[in-house]
Amino acid sequence: MRHLAVATIGAVFLIAASGAALAAGGDVFEAKGCGECHYTQGPAREKTIDDQLAKKGPELWYAGSKFQKKWLTDWLADPKPIRPMKFNDLMVENPADHPKLSGGDVAAVAGFLMGLTSDAVKAGKVKPKKNPKGRQIFIKKMPCSGCHQYAGRKGKIAGGRSGPSLVDAGLRLNPDWILAYLQQPKVFKPVKMMPVFVGLLSDKDMLNVARYVANFKPKKKKR
Amino acid sequence: MQKISLGKTWAIAAVVAMGAQFAAVPATASETAAVFKFYCAQCHGLTGKGDGPNVTKDFPVSPRNFANAKEMDKLSDADLKNVIMDGGPSVSKSPMMPPWGKTLTVEQVDGLVKHLRGICKCKGKQG
Repeated sequence: MRHLAVATIGAVFLIAASGAALAAGGDVFEAKGCGECHYTQGPAREKTIDDQLAKKGPELWYAGSKFQKKWLTDWLADPKPIRPMKFNDLMVENPADHPKLSGGDVAAVAGFLMGLTSDAVKAGKVKPKKNPKGRQIFIKKMPCSGCHQYAGRKGKIAGGRSGPSLVDAGLRLNPDWILAYLQQPKVFKPVKMMPVFVGLLSDKDMLNVARYVANFKPKKKKR
Repeated sequence: MQKISLGKTWAIAAVVAMGAQFAAVPATASETAAVFKFYCAQCHGLTGKGDGPNVTKDFPVSPRNFANAKEMDKLSDADLKNVIMDGGPSVSKSPMMPPWGKTLTVEQVDGLVKHLRGICKCKGKQG
């Protein structure tokens, strides 16, 4: 009985501590002004093109389902452009001026963002792997490569520039999110420049594309 | 001949009126301009000359220059609508032209066809 009481108190303490950490991360997020460009409460708000264009940065209400924690933590400390072009702009190059976080703020905000998840993303559906069918769809059958950069032959960067770069996307994106995004785009981005492929690609095709993109990782150097 | 009661007549009239209320409204020119800028300009450029930011020297095809009246005149409005809805392969062109049929409404696509005719200042193949 005594052990049970101790265990219960311990569990309550842990939950309270993690809740406090999330709240602290949320406070840092607001204090640093992140909320001026990114909204963190779902569901998606955009209904029109104007709604989308009014945003200064991507929505983050499902960041914990979309990103990988290590990548996110590294990126917050040293942000590198993900999009070749400025967000919501076709004429201006990405100015690479995203604010950096430092010290304890990095882990606090990463923890906060990783706590923002969507039930629409089901875990364990997508295993990254070399996928010729996914490649065929990405490069030949559908226009994915027309808007997204990726590492082509011999690592040469290929692809278009209007969408987010997918070079090394396997380090950045949760494989299961890629599939969920293809299958249920309106849950995440009701108004977006990317075509809706629901009804054009089968679930199996989408799975192949998700596996292929999730496998975009830096090549290991030969010794 | 089967008689229709007054009550049924009213019910049918109400349904027809509701249908009319929700009938698709054509996209205005300014709405269409926004649609073009948001979706099409990625490859076709803001002025439709085929020079959007995706068109690097490695881009596998040259997106259509809508200002080229000679080329645009070879296509009917139905051809333009088809290629917007179903993508390049539907007219034996490149898959780099996406199928927008699941993204745009028919009214938006009709608006885009008019918009393209405004850029080329041409009527296209008739009949």
